[in-house]
Amino acid sequence: MLIVLLLIGGGVAAGLFGSLLGLGGGILIVPLLTLGFGLPLITAIGVSLVCVIVTSGAAAGVYLERRVANLRLGMTLELFTAIGAMTGGLIAFLVPERFLELLFTGLLIYVALTMARRDDPPLDTGLAPEDPAVEGDDDQSTAERLSGPGYRVRRIGFGVVGSLGAGVVSALLGIGGGLIKVPVMHVVMGVPLRVATATSNLMIGITASAGAIIYLLRGGIDPYVAAPTAIGVFLGATLGSRTAQRIDIRVLRGLFVAILLYTAWQMLQRGLM
Amino acid sequence: MNGDAGLPPVASANVAVADPLERAIARVLTVGTYVSVAVLAVGTAMMLASGVQPLAGGPRFDLGQVGDDLVHLRASGFLWLGLVAVVATSASRVVASLVGYLRGGERLMAVVALLILAVIVLSVGLAIGLEG
Repeated sequence: MLIVLLLIGGGVAAGLFGSLLGLGGGILIVPLLTLGFGLPLITAIGVSLVCVIVTSGAAAGVYLERRVANLRLGMTLELFTAIGAMTGGLIAFLVPERFLELLFTGLLIYVALTMARRDDPPLDTGLAPEDPAVEGDDDQSTAERLSGPGYRVRRIGFGVVGSLGAGVVSALLGIGGGLIKVPVMHVVMGVPLRVATATSNLMIGITASAGAIIYLLRGGIDPYVAAPTAIGVFLGATLGSRTAQRIDIRVLRGLFVAILLYTAWQMLQRGLM
Repeated sequence: MNGDAGLPPVASANVAVADPLERAIARVLTVGTYVSVAVLAVGTAMMLASGVQPLAGGPRFDLGQVGDDLVHLRASGFLWLGLVAVVATSASRVVASLVGYLRGGERLMAVVALLILAVIVLSVGLAIGLEG
């Protein structure tokens, strides 16, 4: 009984933090389950992928209803994130757990440094800066088909490569892959930040599903752990989306960076043991 | 970076056919997620009632066993059903997109949707093949 409540509570915390800071829960769920509950990393990653799908599903529905996400762009890129995730899911069962732990340590440090340096986005349209020099380097009809009002998608080839990479990392480490997809769409492809964030969220469901299927069928998902954790993450993410306006994100971000660095240190020690 | 759900409305990409399709997909995602979480909650309640130790290691996924567990009202049946529903929700969204794009005459996007489904099916095939 107590363990189930702790799993739900941990999931609520991960979902709440993730929702308030614009991250998927995976970055917190994997360390929570490995360092907090002593589960094997491969099981934690499988459970995390399930949680990521749940949070993405609920939020992506809202994004589509509000017409923020770009469905065509998301579907085109998620074809490649799914291929990457399928590959990553297969690789994850072949590499030593220690390798994954060290890789996850690197990810935690990267996210901590990114969060520490991040400024709050300006309250403008969120449009990406135009770079006329690179416009027109993709097939016109494809770029137009994938573009939206106020912006034109460019460098689709980079988007494809970034999506493949995001898919591999997602399935290897149990995260949504938004850390890669959002910068690629926004900075490289010229998609407005808000649209890139919403579109990434939409894509995460398929990205994580392609990886989760491999984990599910290869015994990498423990239903007794996955269910309470996923319920907690769902509740936490729902709560977070409703309280985001009332919380000082700067304080929360500082706390989050400290937690990530502490977790990275713990994960590093585990990987080097 | 998944973003928050409190975003202001921004006009979405492209043409009239996208609006009803996006609404339909949003419904599939929202309903699918809520139903999945509800089934997981039922399974978790049954798990608690039956005194299962969560960290002792759960059963592996076995499709044949899931049906039997559901018929006999075992917790693992509901937990697996909920977890499969979570994954199936995303795939259902792609199926809905495929149907929408075919109806709208957008052949290229329909092919993209079909290819995504092919990757999902390939994932299942590879996972089963490697286990066997």
